[in-house]
Formats: sequence, structure tokens, C-alpha cells
Amino acid sequence: MIAAFFREVAAALAAIWADKGARSTMLGATLFFSVFFPQPYLAEVVRDMPVAVIDQDGSTLSRELIRRIDAADAVAVTRYAPDMPSARALFLKREVYGIVVVPPRFERDLLAGRSAPIAAFSDGGYFLLNSVMSSALTNAARSLGAEVQVGRLTATGVDAAAAMAVVEPLRVTAVPLFNPTGGYASFVLPAVFVLILQQTLLMGIGNLKAGRRPDGALATFADAVVYVGLYALWAGVVLVLLPWAYNLPYIGHIAVMYAVALPFLAAVTAMGFAVARLIPTREGVIFFLVVLGMPLFFLSGVSWPAEAMPAPLHAIAFAIPSTTAVPALVRVNQMGADLRSVEGTILIQFALCLAYSLLAVLAGRLRRLAPGARFGSHSV
Amino acid sequence: MARRAHLKAGFRRALLAEVRQIGSRPGLMFMLAPFPLLLFALLAAVFHLGLPRDLPIAVVDQDRSTLSRQMVRMVDATPEVAVAREVATLGEGRQLLVSGEAYAVVLIPARTERDVLSGRRPEVVLFYNNQYMTPGSLVARAVGGTLGTVAAGISIEARVARGADVESATQAAAPIPVRQSALFNPSLEYVQFLLAAVMPTVLQIFIGASAALSFARDRQGVAGLGRSLRLGGTLFKTVAGKLAPYTLAYLIVLWGADALLFGLMGVRFGGSLTFHAAYGLLFVLASQMLGAAAALVARDTVSALAAVGVITGPAFGFTGITFPRLSMNDFSAIWADLLPVTHYLQLRTDNILRGAPLDISMPAVAWLAGLALAYGGVALLLLWRHGRAKPEAAR
Repeated sequence: MIAAFFREVAAALAAIWADKGARSTMLGATLFFSVFFPQPYLAEVVRDMPVAVIDQDGSTLSRELIRRIDAADAVAVTRYAPDMPSARALFLKREVYGIVVVPPRFERDLLAGRSAPIAAFSDGGYFLLNSVMSSALTNAARSLGAEVQVGRLTATGVDAAAAMAVVEPLRVTAVPLFNPTGGYASFVLPAVFVLILQQTLLMGIGNLKAGRRPDGALATFADAVVYVGLYALWAGVVLVLLPWAYNLPYIGHIAVMYAVALPFLAAVTAMGFAVARLIPTREGVIFFLVVLGMPLFFLSGVSWPAEAMPAPLHAIAFAIPSTTAVPALVRVNQMGADLRSVEGTILIQFALCLAYSLLAVLAGRLRRLAPGARFGSHSV
Repeated sequence: MARRAHLKAGFRRALLAEVRQIGSRPGLMFMLAPFPLLLFALLAAVFHLGLPRDLPIAVVDQDRSTLSRQMVRMVDATPEVAVAREVATLGEGRQLLVSGEAYAVVLIPARTERDVLSGRRPEVVLFYNNQYMTPGSLVARAVGGTLGTVAAGISIEARVARGADVESATQAAAPIPVRQSALFNPSLEYVQFLLAAVMPTVLQIFIGASAALSFARDRQGVAGLGRSLRLGGTLFKTVAGKLAPYTLAYLIVLWGADALLFGLMGVRFGGSLTFHAAYGLLFVLASQMLGAAAALVARDTVSALAAVGVITGPAFGFTGITFPRLSMNDFSAIWADLLPVTHYLQLRTDNILRGAPLDISMPAVAWLAGLALAYGGVALLLLWRHGRAKPEAAR
């Protein structure tokens, strides 16, 4: 029995190596995607986003404000425009991504203690550029405004400490945790890597099993053990080694990571068998999985909060292993979550593994009962 | 049957042969229109509720004063967030962050109110989960804004106590307000923008894959590409006839999704409809040529499909919709230019949202047309080589 099992394990490994499609998805694709996918995000943060300024005041204080805006890492004042139409033209040509208007009488109003508003224009669609510009402007305006106010108060004979207490009686400090620099790669990649594991594993199983007659129970079990084992190694590479290589935040425990990753990989493997038995051709399986990649990423709730999704949709999405495993693994690896914080996910993965195994067995039965069924148009 | 046999080689014959092929494969028919529309419905459902509201946060109120309770109430009243838990220590708050039950923790230290009154400028700290950056930064901005309002209120009171009138005290509390607005289409919602960008990216996969399947299938068939060429007569007519059914189907899907977006979901359309139709057609053609070229370069159907998957699957990150193109490395910038969807999305933004004059969009149109010609050229060249080589090899 044990000897037979090991023979099957060897056969499963040989089958991966022999099948070109399986070899390239299960051995090559994981590595390829983990190098290729991060490319656009490697800069992590926006630096020197070009901004046009319309300085209608031309005073010492307006220049000081513009200097402070330009001093922010994320923003660079690259153009001075005389009026709105010419600034707008620069914007349309994508030479600048934001416009700041300092109105006339800015300095006079500010020194007289009146409200001296400035206006900022950007494209509401580009979330990141928008918030980058917003924080650069707010910081510059707040620091200059506070200094002028304190100056006004001290001029009337108030001592500096009391003046500060009037201008800023309560300090509000925001502390970003886990991804302190707000790096985009640090935010997206840990989640994407988990999804890459799931999709390539599913594709590999599709390559090997779709359109083929289901094997016996022992052979199938041996296959599953081999796939989970192989991907447990990949999980180490992709979830531990790559964050280190890309300098992403990583504060997790490997043991906790595997406590989530192994049930997750088992659930994905079971799902792979079920999908391969339900979709009759290899092309069909691969296509289905390629197309589903992006929707699954949004459903995981890392980039788009689950609270903002309709509840029934999010409930249905629980049927996909990545929906719960992606946030759980991110919490373990990047946020240092302990076992207790992810035990719900582990239970869900076990339940999914069981459910998909049953589905795969049923689908296999159905296949055997229908001998006339087409076993794929393509088996080369 | 007889009529078909007598049909002269050409565009119509290649087209009818392809339509028959599609008709005999239910899987392929599903992929043409129902599946992409289903995915559009799924994505629309994901973003359907708009920007998140009532995101859960936790509060550690160690002061338990009138002021601290007022702060908690005001934070809770902020639409974006809801105070889901009040915990005693920062450690408990951290546990809520780590387990995903809260996106942020507000710490109000003991003696905050007393220190405010005695002018000691106490500090309220907002810890937020920046690993989940979208909700994290939303929460940080919303809560930060509310706490800033509380601080400004105290500042106004202090000034009034010093003898200022309320009006000038209010102005002095926010000396340089920043009035930020969207330059184009002020009603524009980020969520709609995201959905409008994700859909064409997913569709590019469908379009490329269907063209790849069409050519890879012929190539692997017994008669090979030689037969397809005999049906079409010339190289150009063969390609046109084979791809026309898919062009039509995906144009209908592309415009159908737009009809839902601009009609049913009420997104504003601010540009030229004719121009929109024109670059939509160019986008579909360029994506088809990309798929056809991949199919003729790859060795078999599965590799062809995998190649299209590798090129079009991760495309979204390169389009610059989420992380801007101006911050990308050289490789990503070049790769993004080679993807039809990058230029298509830029044209959409320019035309629909910004109502930009046509001359600004010309470079992107040239890119799309250039990509269609370049990938089409590769496809024609390889088709000519394979179509010639196959019968000779068989002999």
C-alpha cells in the first residue's frame, strides 16, 4: 500500500515534468509572474508629480506657499501658468497632473487674519494622484497658516507657547501602520502573490487533468499530495523570499503562514480537480482562469473593502479559496497576525477542501456513467 | 450544402466557415458575449455601492471626559467610518487591526481635556492600517478631518475667550483652506472610473484569446492553415473573414457595457460618440491582431492561449489607472505602450471625461492604429509562411 502510494507520487511528479503545459504553469509561470507582475509598482510611491501653479498674488507669502508645496517629495511645481485656460491645456496634454491657484490678495487677507483660500484642481479618477496632491497641499497650507497665525499673536504680546496653544490646542497625529511609507508595491504585491499561487496551481491541474478520464482514488490522492507539497515550496518562495527580495514589509511567522497556506493549497487543489472535471477541455480551463484573475483580486477585499461590496456577493465569493486566504495571509505576513486571528479562515479552507473534493468525486462519477461523453476535442 | 460548395473563395466563404465553427462549439459561443457580460455584471456588483461607508474603527478613550466623548461621537458621525468597538488598551486595539475587525484605532490619552484647558497641547493619535491602503487612507482622511474640526472648534473658543468675535475667530482657525475640486466632470465618481477601466481590460483578454483560438485551432487541424487560406483566397481576406464574427461580437459587448454604464448606471458621457465608436473599433482590431500573432508564434493551442494570458492578464497594472504611469520604470512604460488597452483607456478618459480636443488624442489614436498594423503584419507574415510550409511538409 505504502509502496504503491510512493509509486503514484513518483508518477505524479513525472507527469508534471512530462507535460509541457503543466511544467510551464506549475514550475515556470509562478516564478515568471512574480518577476513580471511587480514591474509597474516597483517605484512604490509617486515622486515629483508635475503640478502647474497660477500665482495671481505674486507676493512673498504666495511664493513661500508654492515653495512649501514644491518641497513635498510627491509633488513638483514644474510650470507657472498665467491663467486657467493655459493651465488647463497643460493638464489635457498630461504635462501636469494638477493645478494650484493662489488668488489675488492672498497675502493681504492672510496677514489681516482673514480666510485666504487657495484652489486646487485634479482629475478625480486617479485616486492615488489625487490623494498625493491633496496631502501635499494640505500640509503646506496648514504649516504656513499656523506660522502666520502664531506670528500675528506674538506680535500682540502673547508668548510663543500660549500662541501655539491658541492656534493648535490639540495635536492630531496620524500613524500609518504595517506599510508606513504607503508603498503601492507593498500594498498590492503580497495579495497578488497569493492569487498567483492559486491561479497557476489551478491552471497546472487543468493542464494535467482536464479532458482526461479520472484516475483511481489512490492515484488522485497521490497527485493531490504532490501538488500541495510542490506549492508549499512555492508558498515559501513567493510569500517569504520574494517580499525580502522586493523589500516589502514582512513581519510574519513562517509557522503561522503555513498553518493558513497548507489548508488553502489543499482547498485550491480540490477545486482544481473539480474544475478540471467540469470543464472538458484544457483550453477552456486555462481561459476561464485567466479571465477570472482580476475579478478575484477585487473580491478578496484587499484593494476594495469587503464592507463596500453587496453582502450576498461577498458571501458567494467565500466559495473561492483566495477570497478569505488572501486577506488572511496578508494579515499574517505583513501585519504579524497570530494563529488565533486567522483560525476562521483556516476552518473555511478545510470546509472548501471537503466540498470541492466531494464535487470532484461527483463530477468524476458522472463522467464514468456517461461513456459517450466527449473527452476533450484536443488531447495532444 | 451545394451552394456553399460553389461559393467562391473570399471574405464571405472564410466568414461563413468561421461562423459554422463557432456554431458547433457552445463553449466558444458562451465566451463571445454571455461570459464577458456576466463578468461585467459581477464587477459592477463589486463596485455597485460606491465609495465605502461605515468602515469599522476602534476607539481607546483613556480620558473619559466631556471632550473625549464628544470626539468619539463626532468620529462616529463621520459618514465614512463607524466606531465599532471601544477598547481599554492600545494592545486590544492592535489586535482588532490585525484580525481585520477594524481599519483604524483612535487613541485619546488620559488627561486630554485637562491638558487642552491648561494649554499643554495634548496629542490624539490615529493609528490606521495602511497595508489595506484604499480603505486605510480613506479612514485616515475622514477621521483626521473630523479630529481637525474638533481642534479647530477648541481654537475658535480660545480666541473668543480672548475677545475676538466668532466670525473672525472662525476665519483665523482655518487660515488657508484648500478648496479641491475635480477639474473635469465634477460629478465623476472614482468607483465608476474604476469600473469603466476594468471592463475593457478584461475584454482585451477575451478578444485576444478568441482570435488566438481561431488561428491556433486551424493550425492544429488536419488540413492546417492551408485550408483556411484556400477558403479565403488571399491572406488578407482570410484574416478578415475569420476575425469578422469576433470583431462584431466584441464590439457589441464593448458598446453594450458602455450602454449599461452611461444609460442604466447614469454615468455622464461628455465627449464625441463618433470618436468613441472609432477608437473602440481600433481597440478591438488591435487586440485581435495581438491574439492572432500570438497564436501563429506559439506552437500549439494551449501555448497560444497561455501567451495571450501572460500578455493581457496582468495588463491592468500597466495601464496607469491605479499606480500612475509617470512613476513606472522604463520596462513597464514600454510594455504598457505595447498593450492596446493602455491607449484605449487614455482615449476614453480624454474623450468621455475630459472632453479634450481631438488633436490631443491623436498620438494615442496613432499608437492604437500602429499596434493593429504591427501585430496584423506579424500575423499576416506568419500566416503566409505557415500556409505555404504546411502542404509542402505533408508531401
